Amino acid sequence: MLDLEIAVNRPQRWDVPFGSDMRDEDVDRLLQVEPFRSMDADRFPAALPLRGILQNDTRITDHPDGSIVVREGDYGHSAFLVLRGRVNVVLEGLDPETLGRPPKASQGLFRSLAKMWRNPSLPEVRKHPVAENKLAVSRDQTGDLANTRVFLQDVPRILMGTRSVSLHSGEIFGELAALTRTPRTATVLADGDALLLEIRWQGLRDLMRRTDALRHHIERLYRENSLRVHLRETPLLTQLPAEQLEAVAAETVFETYGNFEWQANSEADGEQSPTSAIVNEPLIAEEGLPSAGLILVRAGFARMSQRHGHGHKTFAYLGKGQMFGTAEAIESYRSGNTAALTTSLRALGYVDVLRIPQSVLDKHVFPHVPDNLLETLHDKRAVYCTHHHCDLPHEKIGGQPGSVDTALLEFLVESRFINGQQAMAIDLDRCTRCDDCVRACAATHDNNPRFLRHGQRHGSYQVAHACMHCVDPVCMIGCPTGAIGRDMATGTVRINDQTCIGCSTCANSCPYDNIRMVEIRDSRGAILVDDATHQPILKATKCDLCVDHSGGPACQRACPHDALVRLDLGNLGKLSQWVNR
Amino acid sequence: MRPFASRRLTNSVLTVAGVAGITAWTVWQENKLGRADFHTGYVLIGAVLFLACYNLRKKLPVLPWTTSSAWLQAHIYIGLASAVVFGLHVGWKVPNGFLEISIAVLYCLAFVSGIVGLIWTRTLPPQLARLSEEIIFERTAMIRAQLRDRAQRVVLESVHASGATTLGEFYAERLQEYFERPRRLGYYLWPTNSLRRELLAELTAVRRYLSDPEQEKCEQLFALVRRRDDLDFQVALQWRLKGWLFVHLGLTYPLVLASCLHGWLAHLFDGGAL
Ligand code: HEM
Repeated sequence: MLDLEIAVNRPQRWDVPFGSDMRDEDVDRLLQVEPFRSMDADRFPAALPLRGILQNDTRITDHPDGSIVVREGDYGHSAFLVLRGRVNVVLEGLDPETLGRPPKASQGLFRSLAKMWRNPSLPEVRKHPVAENKLAVSRDQTGDLANTRVFLQDVPRILMGTRSVSLHSGEIFGELAALTRTPRTATVLADGDALLLEIRWQGLRDLMRRTDALRHHIERLYRENSLRVHLRETPLLTQLPAEQLEAVAAETVFETYGNFEWQANSEADGEQSPTSAIVNEPLIAEEGLPSAGLILVRAGFARMSQRHGHGHKTFAYLGKGQMFGTAEAIESYRSGNTAALTTSLRALGYVDVLRIPQSVLDKHVFPHVPDNLLETLHDKRAVYCTHHHCDLPHEKIGGQPGSVDTALLEFLVESRFINGQQAMAIDLDRCTRCDDCVRACAATHDNNPRFLRHGQRHGSYQVAHACMHCVDPVCMIGCPTGAIGRDMATGTVRINDQTCIGCSTCANSCPYDNIRMVEIRDSRGAILVDDATHQPILKATKCDLCVDHSGGPACQRACPHDALVRLDLGNLGKLSQWVNR
Repeated sequence: MRPFASRRLTNSVLTVAGVAGITAWTVWQENKLGRADFHTGYVLIGAVLFLACYNLRKKLPVLPWTTSSAWLQAHIYIGLASAVVFGLHVGWKVPNGFLEISIAVLYCLAFVSGIVGLIWTRTLPPQLARLSEEIIFERTAMIRAQLRDRAQRVVLESVHASGATTLGEFYAERLQEYFERPRRLGYYLWPTNSLRRELLAELTAVRRYLSDPEQEKCEQLFALVRRRDDLDFQVALQWRLKGWLFVHLGLTYPLVLASCLHGWLAHLFDGGAL
């Protein structure tokens, strides 16, 4: 008979250590160097000992001279401590081409037509399967493609005339990008052979929690480098006098909720009932409790919900740069009594927030904000769209959630499609299944369609398997050669086919299954195999929004019935416009 | 007004205005005993060529300056307006001459197929969207084979578990063909659920003779019959959505060729106008 239950050990945080070969001696040695030497091991709980963190959340990596440690624009989930040797932080942006990400100029009409004409009849034909630029690639001895290193050749010439800073043993870098999941702001190269300790995000967070000096150090860096800019982007604080903004920055509290590795859990989350899924999401602020100031989302997503029957009804989701608790904070300021929150805020995956306490608002913010702005902010409880570019006029600061029905909203939140800035949404009530979109995609990509007209459905809406060019592009974490990267100007996530080594890290990380690994062939149709292993050479492929064609994504332009759009699903305004066409 | 509604209104107003203008001009020409047939002929052939060019646009998806949906809008309204121009051109009566009759028939068929297609492309997708499963047309044969195999397995398991052949006999008699063969052409043109209802009713009737283990398998057969019918329904609708376009496009090329020939001959025999 079929077993209905099978007992297994509950997956634990350290089931898969960050580095597989951290030995006890390595940990002993680490405990002798700063900053670990001055850490008080007794402040760590028994379940999360300092030793355990070092053993499981860190790894020691060798970086030969000239190798790229982090690349500007990359997304990462780890910080680095220099153990031995030196690294160079290049402060001025290096030429993207040097880093293996040549910008793609969009082709003119005639070149596009000529290219289409010459499209090979076989799938996945490559003329130049490997890089022909200044990058050199060295494979890991064990054959682990994910440990491949990329070198810049002739580093002195590349760095000539650029500003760079040298970091020596004992110095930490990359922590802000790791903690806030923002792109790395500089490229770091090994200057001579360097030994680094890479600390993954979870470990860094726990070390910070239990070590005041480290926490203060990192918070100070953030306060100095980016907090003011972030605060200024908030409508309420845009006009605040500089002196008051200083005071706000000094008192702002940093908080982090949820799991950074949300993509790993998203499939399991999908199996929970919607009610328990919401209840299990970490609470940032709870409906009915006294408001404790204003919450600004710094990174990630949060769900705003209200109790409804036995469950919770979602009515908006917030993303980077959006505020929560504004109305209640203003009410508290006006009445002198603390108002109760009318909605809850919960972390979807992982969220990083800034909290401005009520006392700071009362003293440094509200007295300096014009009454009419306060009035507007007070009336518009829910913020409308999650991503930065909310271009509808009434979306500037707030507004009631658009007329998108709650079930659709819940679907988008639960399946995390709100992450998509260019999701392929199909209105099945209009789609005649003609596949003109697929043919157009193939015609513009050497005869290889880069998406599947298939995917999760909600009623008559479908989100197809096409790269969504996510706000939080988890696929970009861990690419050993930096072949997958985001174009900073357009936000498009692209794969450089020539520097992709086929390790599948991106395809395995994409929670939406939107990256496909393909075997490639030469122009005569022969499958290309690795000289050493005789295994087929793989390349990661996905939608590139037709960046090299003028006119935008061919799929959308090829749809005769206005059924298919590329849509920012984090933008409720745009979504409601589309569903109410 | 919602964007689609306002687009419909604007395009309709423009079309009616254009058609009214052409009609008024033709009537005015005829009233002063002038000739309008060459002019209406040129407008008509221009319209037909433009309508046919939509196929070219579809073949060139890299063209940066147009969207297929804008083309289709122009296609639909110009297509509708072309009927009036056609009427004016033939003087609202059946033309004579083999070539002229052939062109008229081709045009009418292309026009009617366009209208039918327009109705189908607006009404069939919501019917497809209501089904619980979305299939890719090219995978139909594979899904059909999977359902057939599962049905066979269920029946064999039932025979093994119960030692009775009641369900097996019913399967061989009534369901085997249903699971093995695609539906007939009539179903593709006009899918109905009569066979599904018939089979489910017969299966319900057989149920009273089944033992407990067979009952369980019978439930699974019910589900498989329904799934197969849903699949056939989906395939029939998708087939129709593809098929009409095939006919519509198939009529286009002979129409374009014959119309060009007709225009050339008209000039040739028009008192040496060429
Ligand atoms: C009478 C002359 C007409 C000609 C020569 C013509 C020609 C064409 C051509 C060449 C296509 C493109 C087929 C393809 O490549 O897939 C097309 C598509 C279409 N036509 Fe016409 N057409 C005509 C009239 C009409 C009319 C009167 C209507 C409706 C009012 C119409 C509605 C459509 C529709 C809905 C499509 C297809 C859109 C899709 O891809 O789903 N056509 N027609």
